Amino acid sequence: MESNKLILRRAYLLYFLIGMGMLAIVFRIFQIQVIEGSIWKSKAENLTIDFRKIEAVRGNIYAKDGSLLATSVPKYEIRFDPNTESLSDEDFYANVDSLAWCLANLFQDYSPEAYRERLVQGRKSGARFMLVRRNAKYTELSELRAFPIFRRGRYGGGFIYLQHNKRQRPFRHLAARTIGYDRQEVLPVGLEGAYRKALRGVSGQRLMQKIAGNVWMPISDDNDIEPVDGYDLVTTLDINIQDVAENALLKQLVKHDAQYGCVVLMEVQTGEIRAIANLSRDEEGRYYENYNYAIGASTEPGSTFKLATFMAALEDGHIELTDSVETGNGKYEFYGTPMYDSKEGGYGTITVKDAFAYSSNIAAARIAEKYYKDTPQEFVNRLYQMGLNRPTGVEIAGEGKPFIKSANDPSWSGLSLPWMSHGYEVSLTPLQILTFYNAVANDGQMMKPMFARRIEKHGEVHKIFDPIVLEKSIASKKTIEKSKEMLEAVVEYGTAINLKGAGFKIAGKTGTAQISRGKYGYDKVSYQASFCGYFPANNPLYSCIVVVNAPSRNVYYGNLVAGPIFREIANKVYSTTLDAQEEISDFNGQLASGRPLIPVSKNGIEKDLTQVFNAIGVPYVDECDGFWVSTQTGTDQVAMKEVSTVENLVPNVVGMDAEDAVYLLENSGLRVLLEGRGVVKRQSIQAGVRIPSGKPLIKLVLS
Amino acid sequence: MVLLLALWSILLVYSSVVTLAYKYHGGNAIFYVFKHALFVGTGFGLIYIIHRINYRYFSRIAQLLIWIVIPLLALTLLLGVNVNNASRWLTIPFINQSFQTSDLAKLALIMFVARTLAQKKDDLKDFSGTFVPMMGVVLLVIGLILPANLSTAVVLLATSLLLMFMAGVKVKHLLTLVPLAISAIAIIIILAKTSPDFFPRFETWNNRIENFISGEGNSDGNYQTDQAKIAIATGGFMGKGPGNSTQRNFLPSSYSDFIYAIIVEEYGFLGGLVIILLYMALLYRSLRIVQQVKGSFAAYLVLGLSFSLVIQGMINMGVNVGLLPVTGQTLPLISKGGTSFWFTSISLGIILSVSRSIQEEEKVESLKQNRYVQA
Repeated sequence: MESNKLILRRAYLLYFLIGMGMLAIVFRIFQIQVIEGSIWKSKAENLTIDFRKIEAVRGNIYAKDGSLLATSVPKYEIRFDPNTESLSDEDFYANVDSLAWCLANLFQDYSPEAYRERLVQGRKSGARFMLVRRNAKYTELSELRAFPIFRRGRYGGGFIYLQHNKRQRPFRHLAARTIGYDRQEVLPVGLEGAYRKALRGVSGQRLMQKIAGNVWMPISDDNDIEPVDGYDLVTTLDINIQDVAENALLKQLVKHDAQYGCVVLMEVQTGEIRAIANLSRDEEGRYYENYNYAIGASTEPGSTFKLATFMAALEDGHIELTDSVETGNGKYEFYGTPMYDSKEGGYGTITVKDAFAYSSNIAAARIAEKYYKDTPQEFVNRLYQMGLNRPTGVEIAGEGKPFIKSANDPSWSGLSLPWMSHGYEVSLTPLQILTFYNAVANDGQMMKPMFARRIEKHGEVHKIFDPIVLEKSIASKKTIEKSKEMLEAVVEYGTAINLKGAGFKIAGKTGTAQISRGKYGYDKVSYQASFCGYFPANNPLYSCIVVVNAPSRNVYYGNLVAGPIFREIANKVYSTTLDAQEEISDFNGQLASGRPLIPVSKNGIEKDLTQVFNAIGVPYVDECDGFWVSTQTGTDQVAMKEVSTVENLVPNVVGMDAEDAVYLLENSGLRVLLEGRGVVKRQSIQAGVRIPSGKPLIKLVLS
Repeated sequence: MVLLLALWSILLVYSSVVTLAYKYHGGNAIFYVFKHALFVGTGFGLIYIIHRINYRYFSRIAQLLIWIVIPLLALTLLLGVNVNNASRWLTIPFINQSFQTSDLAKLALIMFVARTLAQKKDDLKDFSGTFVPMMGVVLLVIGLILPANLSTAVVLLATSLLLMFMAGVKVKHLLTLVPLAISAIAIIIILAKTSPDFFPRFETWNNRIENFISGEGNSDGNYQTDQAKIAIATGGFMGKGPGNSTQRNFLPSSYSDFIYAIIVEEYGFLGGLVIILLYMALLYRSLRIVQQVKGSFAAYLVLGLSFSLVIQGMINMGVNVGLLPVTGQTLPLISKGGTSFWFTSISLGIILSVSRSIQEEEKVESLKQNRYVQA
């Protein structure tokens, strides 16, 4: 035990020494934290490494048929670290020439010598993050990865790339505002905004180092946490109809030099929006999509609102279609304020149905006044019952609030009722009016307008959106039937008789509203022309509204300004919707009425055309044995003429479809830019001109 | 004993939280945590098994082990897996688990020294008969560890010398090593300068020591210490809370060599202090065991093992706070690192085995006394 005592004495001595050492550590922590604390903390703030977000690839937005409406295209920023540790002088100088040559060859912007100079300069000056190229494409990235030096990767070859995703709309302006955008620090717009959560995906993380100039450089070759791609959104939009709607609207806007206009086409049974176009004029007189008027602009609707007034009176059993209404000489005073009908001298005494068809303001006002003067709230409640005061609740942000004045409103006056009856002192967006008309077309069932069909990823369906019923029945069956009859009368013999045409019947209502300009009232008049309706009248498939604001060429009636747009869209939709077609017997009737027997043929390859003609039994005259032919459709046969293609001369592609035209032109050494759809109408370089060298661009306009 | 176990489990909680937190970004964090938990679990198993063995057997085992370790170390130096220019690892055949042979050597050498000291208890003052042969073995083992792992060699040498000092070897004898060490260092430097291949780690040592002396610099070594200091400074008194470390992203080896800095960052000054107190408690507990134990071998064994553990911990903490140049010493029982955890467990198992024997002897004593009273 003696020796153990010695051991213990020495052991405790050492224990004491170690304790001193530990004390030194504690003191050192104290020193670092308190005395040097501020230095290290400031160093911590300037920390040069951090996990940085990498954006996920955003999901695509598709039209109903799968056409791409919005997509993300990855672009790459290519950087080079010429002083990466494992790149020796020997390696660098042995390969820099071929690297420079490859870069020059790929990008075709600088000479190999210039590239070499830059690379060598970078190496000498100690650069660690040289910019090689911004916005490189994916294909270029793949090539770059195989280049000398670069092919060794991030550490071995100093090859650095950063991915950015650029959002693109392949159809550019088509439905641009409805597709919308979702950018940082800006309120998201349209479907991009409404479905941003699904589209965005999950960002990844990557360890990056901050270098001079607030630039972040990735440290490792791979992403530390891979981003998860966003979901794709399949919309209800039909790109062909959208195109027709947009073009028809544009044509009318230009023709009438209007301020803005919008068109919405809705499928009656489901509420699916097939097309939505919004165009407004900028300072230079050009039209483009910059505001979703259809959804956002709540205005006084004017005469289209009469439908609601008449329906209310019908529903309450106050009127029948055959009842007479006195409209007098076209001028009627309510409490000293005159009201006019558009026809000089007035309509006299007419039936309710005619009053609607001719859109008599006085008739609407007198019906409302007669039956609801003492109980105005009853009238308002009827409108509420028809769902007119409720927003549609579309997923796209920024829906205008509907406003139907209550009789208890302090601003309610004796004039309110007669003026509300034909669409003033109320405010609705075009989409809300359409939803209402659509409910009439849909036998009283009000559908929520819908833009999204489903959400999917890589073709796998993730979520399907079902149609939503907003209101089971806005009015009784009888009232709906009568309403339909009135709407048909408008086109049959009323204000929209110009829309009457062969093939199928349209039902609808014109609207010509004076636009109040704030405190200036209605003095300095400006108009809003509209047409809202559905087709085919006997079996409604689609409803549609057209609104044109402030047409300034003295023509402002709904039937003349908005009507033609409606007709054009309806024709297009009808002709492409097989369900809508009448029985074949009707087709024969059309033939009898003098329509051409021979279908119009496109220009193209002779062999293909003759094969088609033979197959469907179209008589043709083939006077040539060339490869490309032009066709001329006669009354009883198609004549084909040879189109000569001479080497080095620009060929004539007018009348061909895009496929043939692109084939022919690209083979001739041109690059083609297409605009529109259909058959080539114009080509930007005249046929027969010598083809300029260097792959020039030729623009084709199709329609 | 209960105290000791409690102490370990607290340490282990630290360990798992920190490791878990560290690998949060790794994607397969669960894998690492699970693996570590497995090592901890088996480590506890080892402690239990070994503490059931009578410590007297370790004397025999030590004799055997030291002759196994020496060729093993030589083998490692020649064939071992090369991590950062340091051949420290050897893969055990069949179970495919690599381990640092120096960990085994540490254990073996301490046991060996304890055994020798106990056997030659009465001849400790004999320089040529006792000190030289014993020191020869020590230096041989250390010499084999040194080229790959300088710091472990230093820890081991320090522990051996301390143990001899405590056992009563004359300080004069120990001091004879000083000229020897100086000449050894000189030879290494000359060798390294003339043929760099012979000591591949020399450059690293040189850099680290130079960095430490100069204080300022921009090389990797200083990057580590700077990041560690930032971790400590931002931790404050109470720390950022478990799992909230940000420095773990910047601090290389934050789960092993620089874990102490992360502990201070997450648990603050207080957490750092608790760790130190726990180590001191461990050492104190070991001294209490030594006080009660009968045989010299047991005493030396406990002293050697506990001091080596605590010195290693102290070096790790010293490096973390910037008191010592950068070395690869882990914080025993806390750092992630499977096999070294096992070896630590074995050490603790041996200490507990000694502790158990005391309790049993007391029991026997009291039984005897009881019998005596009854009779």
